[in-house]
Amino acid sequence: MTIAFENSPPPSEKRLSRKARLGRTLRGLFSTSLDLSARRMRLVAVIFFGIYALICGRLVYLGLKPDPSTLRRAAADAVAAARPDLLDRNGEILAADVKTMSVFAEPRRLSDKDEATELLTATLPVDAKQLRERLGSRKGFVWVKREVTPHQRDEVFHLGLAGVGLLAENKRIYPNGPLAAHVLGFADTDNIGVAGMEKYVDGQGLANLHSLGFELTAETLQPITLSLDLKATHALRDELAKGIEHFKAKAGAAAIMDVNTGEIVALASLPDYDPNGSPNIRDKELINRLNVGIYEMGSTFKALTIAMALDSGKVNLTSRLDARSELNLGRATIHDYHATHAMLTVPEVFVHSSNIGTARMALGQGVEKHRAFLYKLGQLTRMHTELPESAEPMWPRKRWSELSTATIAFGHGIAVAPMQAMMGVGALVNGGYLISPTFLKRSEEEARKNATQVIKPETSEAMRCLMRLNAEIGTARKVNVPGFYVGGKTGTAEKAIHGHYVKNKLFTTFMAVMPADKPKYLFLTLMDEPQGIPETHGEATAAWNSGQVTGELIKRVAPILGFAPRPDPTQPFPLLAKQGYSCSLTPAVASASAAGAH
Amino acid sequence: MLRLFNLLSILVLLGSAGYAYSIKYETSFRTEQIAKAKLEIKSEQDGINVLRAEWAFLTRPERVQKLSERYLDLEPLALAQIDSFAALPERLPHADAIGDKLDMLGLGVASTPSADPAAAPATPRSKGGASTKTTAAAR
Repeated sequence: MTIAFENSPPPSEKRLSRKARLGRTLRGLFSTSLDLSARRMRLVAVIFFGIYALICGRLVYLGLKPDPSTLRRAAADAVAAARPDLLDRNGEILAADVKTMSVFAEPRRLSDKDEATELLTATLPVDAKQLRERLGSRKGFVWVKREVTPHQRDEVFHLGLAGVGLLAENKRIYPNGPLAAHVLGFADTDNIGVAGMEKYVDGQGLANLHSLGFELTAETLQPITLSLDLKATHALRDELAKGIEHFKAKAGAAAIMDVNTGEIVALASLPDYDPNGSPNIRDKELINRLNVGIYEMGSTFKALTIAMALDSGKVNLTSRLDARSELNLGRATIHDYHATHAMLTVPEVFVHSSNIGTARMALGQGVEKHRAFLYKLGQLTRMHTELPESAEPMWPRKRWSELSTATIAFGHGIAVAPMQAMMGVGALVNGGYLISPTFLKRSEEEARKNATQVIKPETSEAMRCLMRLNAEIGTARKVNVPGFYVGGKTGTAEKAIHGHYVKNKLFTTFMAVMPADKPKYLFLTLMDEPQGIPETHGEATAAWNSGQVTGELIKRVAPILGFAPRPDPTQPFPLLAKQGYSCSLTPAVASASAAGAH
Repeated sequence: MLRLFNLLSILVLLGSAGYAYSIKYETSFRTEQIAKAKLEIKSEQDGINVLRAEWAFLTRPERVQKLSERYLDLEPLALAQIDSFAALPERLPHADAIGDKLDMLGLGVASTPSADPAAAPATPRSKGGASTKTTAAAR
């Protein structure tokens, strides 16, 4: 039939009408005969070619068109990254993220930039000229205003401008304001840590993760627990502020360290700043005086010298040192602030804060041993904590002479960061372990793992005995809070200005250990240029101001830190007792020393 | 027979198509719900974060101290106020003279509520004063 059909149309029958030809073609299409399939195949090929061409064209079009997701990514980069919460040791919030809205624009999509500028400046407090400039740029994404209020957000939304959008962002807030600001540091508008623990957290890989495109949300980030105790920190800052005002000091700082773990439980350095604003941390007055400032610690250093002498075995608690006359070393003469003109035992040297006695002890050890000991205690090298800010100690690097040893023995001629001195004194009282201070919560075992034994436990006990004696009858009586068995050491240094010590510009420090029998906390208070006031009979030495503040601080903070007053221990120093030493002064000397306050 | 089988299979086909559609519909409905719930969770979490921060802000020690100084007559804790249980003195012998007298007179309901268990349930508990009297009367 089909063959017949093929042959049948004679050329003459053109009139066979269009209808018939259409019918033929259609029939040809659906016919299963082979000789008709050539035409059919061609048709099918054309159709398929058309379809594939369409798909290819579409692909090319999509490939060339700007990807909407790149814009998304640009936005994600610009949006402030989430940061982990910072908590205090009891879980109180020190720093947290909250969501805020920010307004952005896509200049390429804005049709009328002048109108957009006008409308936006009417609703948001932004500079019109700057905004117009930004909108005129060729960028795909620009910020209009960060962190708008909910009201402004609604207004911008109702403007209905195409090319202007809102984006949820993380904003870092510090609910406690300036409290512990020096430890926390702060994060900038892009939520990048700029100082303090915030910067440390970034350094631990947070910034890297973010730059690699990992989306960090508050849910995936574990909060970081710091060593600080919020309530103790507040009490500390409050007492310090009161002290600074009372004694008209220029500045001051205080800290509490757990001597067994190295944790800094509280820290304040005044003047400080509120991390919620954009603090100007370049201001020299606002530095953290505990680890950025370096100071001559004065008599506090005597503890180190005496520990060295006792640890060497050359000197014991009953040894006598000649403080009958001033000590002449070449051109220099070393005096005592409260001259006793007597042969002094080691405890007497400590409670009288005798420069001559301590210098003699250091000289007895020799220059090399002295330097080696201070090096071992970490006083000569830069101390590193989690905080990115630190300071290099200053000491006679070129020539450490006999005179240097004599003066460094009582804390002049060497300037260290106060926290560094705390680490050293901490090692003297905690049984001899040098534990580097930390701002992260840490257990005692963890601290012990990296600690080195720098002095013998017996020496450590002797140092606690000396500090306790000093609180009972010596210069640290202001901290002898009944029930806490506190030991302490004062330190007063004259400030060196243009290379000369100035008599009435003092830098006073105070270290106290509590309780002296089983040491737990080490308190440090320092004051810059406190003034003598009538109440102190015009005196401005450490015992009167820094000591006073530390005493008040212990009274207030000890209960917060979980200490209840208790009767004094009957056998506070068992190792000394075994050696037959009872840790007390003969009454005659004791009463004589009661006058001294240096 | 064949016709019946065909009919049956058509019905099964229609049924399964309907079922598949309903499942698909259900799935997309649930997916939508999940997405909505996720969004809600997110906004709740953000809300919680804000509230936590606000709580921390409002209970910051500095503010609490200022408020307590202004509005409370409380003194800071003195160390003498802290003591241990061991240091507590022994409990003194009962020294409520008036109470004892009332007891003796049989009026001490308040001080010895379990003294007369039989009387207690019978007491109408509507009015305090009246009940005391009725108990007394009952005894």
